[in-house]
Amino acid sequence: MVLEVHNLHKQFKGKEILRGVDLTVGAGEVVVIIGPSGSGKTTLLRSLNFLEHADRGQLQLKDQQIDLAKPTKQQVQWVRRHTAMVFQNYNLFKNKTALQNIAEGLIYGQGMARQKAEGVARAALDKLGLADQADAYPAELSGGQQQRIGIARATVLHPEVILFDEPTSALDPELVGTVLNDMQALAKQGQPMVVVTHQMWFARNVASRVVFFADGRVVEEGAPADLFAHPKEERTRHFLNSLAENY
Amino acid sequence: MFDLSFARQALPQIIAATPMALLIAAVATLAGLLLAILVVIVRERPLPLVTPLVATLVSFIRGTPILVQLYLVYYGLPQLLVVLKGWGWPVDPDGLSALLIAFVAYALNAAANLSESISAALHAVDRGQYEAAVTVGMPPARAIRRIVVPQLIANLLPNLTNIVLDLVKDTALVYNIGIVEVMGEANIISALGFKYLETYLDALLVYIVTCWLIARLFQLSEFIVRRRRPTNA
Ligand SMILES: Nc1ncnc2c1ncn2[C@@H]1O[C@H](COP(=O)(O)OP(=O)(O)OP(=O)(O)O)[C@@H](O)[C@H]1O
Ligand SMILES: [Mg+2]
Repeated sequence: MVLEVHNLHKQFKGKEILRGVDLTVGAGEVVVIIGPSGSGKTTLLRSLNFLEHADRGQLQLKDQQIDLAKPTKQQVQWVRRHTAMVFQNYNLFKNKTALQNIAEGLIYGQGMARQKAEGVARAALDKLGLADQADAYPAELSGGQQQRIGIARATVLHPEVILFDEPTSALDPELVGTVLNDMQALAKQGQPMVVVTHQMWFARNVASRVVFFADGRVVEEGAPADLFAHPKEERTRHFLNSLAENY
Repeated sequence: MFDLSFARQALPQIIAATPMALLIAAVATLAGLLLAILVVIVRERPLPLVTPLVATLVSFIRGTPILVQLYLVYYGLPQLLVVLKGWGWPVDPDGLSALLIAFVAYALNAAANLSESISAALHAVDRGQYEAAVTVGMPPARAIRRIVVPQLIANLLPNLTNIVLDLVKDTALVYNIGIVEVMGEANIISALGFKYLETYLDALLVYIVTCWLIARLFQLSEFIVRRRRPTNA
């Protein structure tokens, strides 16, 4: 296993948001989390890299076992150096160019020499066909371009796992495809990832496993073909039906 | 009649008093910035007692005229030092110069105004960028230095300009505690020659030129800070 979470609990102001979540990600796996709005999907991802402080839970990442409720500073830093995150609102560094956005983590997170890091960043931009935007600032880029750079910023770090929180939700519909393509290419390379999304196309066609998440818990999970065709739980059926009605 | 030659003769003397005004404003800005950073830190991570106390002090300073604050420090600080000396602190209540008192009063005033501006400039940098920086593995302090602070400074510059200009203009009050700057010098010259209009027009001229130069200086620094980056929403 690349990543294992056990019994993750999290409250906000006395309200239980995560109620004992278990989640695993295997080598090369793409785990897609679907579920209703407000069920705690974002909170789950953010608890894994300590953007939120969990009340209880165990995290196993590579060979390290970490108490999510009481991590040491070193453990927080270690987890963040071995994971990466892609945000709904891209969160690119507005004071840095596209190239610098990608290189920044390599240089100041991983200690790579600047010149080498900028080479890596340039190669990543080349591969995306965004080489001519290397010196553009985020404000000069479209949402789709920003998110693709956000994904490249995470990818070049070669993290154990990349956490995606609704990476296409803020995008104009015609830009969603390019971002999903990048993610699919990444999946093909065997990059483990956890993806929270409402893009059922992605869940059906790219996921190794789909997790249905509701009310702060994993309700059921399985291969996409099984889960979409034969959901076991009433709650899952209900959610999938409500999606179908919207199309 | 307006005595142009008097105005001309007095001008160099008044210009010669400008460095004193600039010195007070500069010391107040620098000391005020340091204090303001502490104030912002205290207000960002609420501490019991300290944070509400600091918040009250800030709103007190922002809600009162600087002249009152100047008098308060002028009469209050020596007494405070007497008390501290009584407690065995190595301070000398009699060694307080008027200039030092002006430094303290203007620095406190600048700190209160600057802390509000720094807070606003900080909150204008969305937290998501900080979060992105730590998730690519930057230690928190480094994320703040490389990502948050540069944007904070760009956001702060327009307000900082206004605060510094206000400080320069407010130094016109320190003649009240016996410091001779532009206004003090103008008072002396006009009283000696009974040429009030001429001298105060000179003072006006000096303030206008000084403030214009300072504004230009800040404009230039703002241009440099933003040059390689388009402003964004
Ligand atoms: N910082 C916070 N303080 C208080 N409550 C919060 C905080 N963050 C999230 N919540 C609450 O926790 C619940 C779960 O939020 P979360 O964002 O994790 O849901 P989600 O599944 O990601 O929803 P969506 O699909 O809309 O993104 C919501 O009720 C939300 O209001
Ligand atoms: Mg969410």
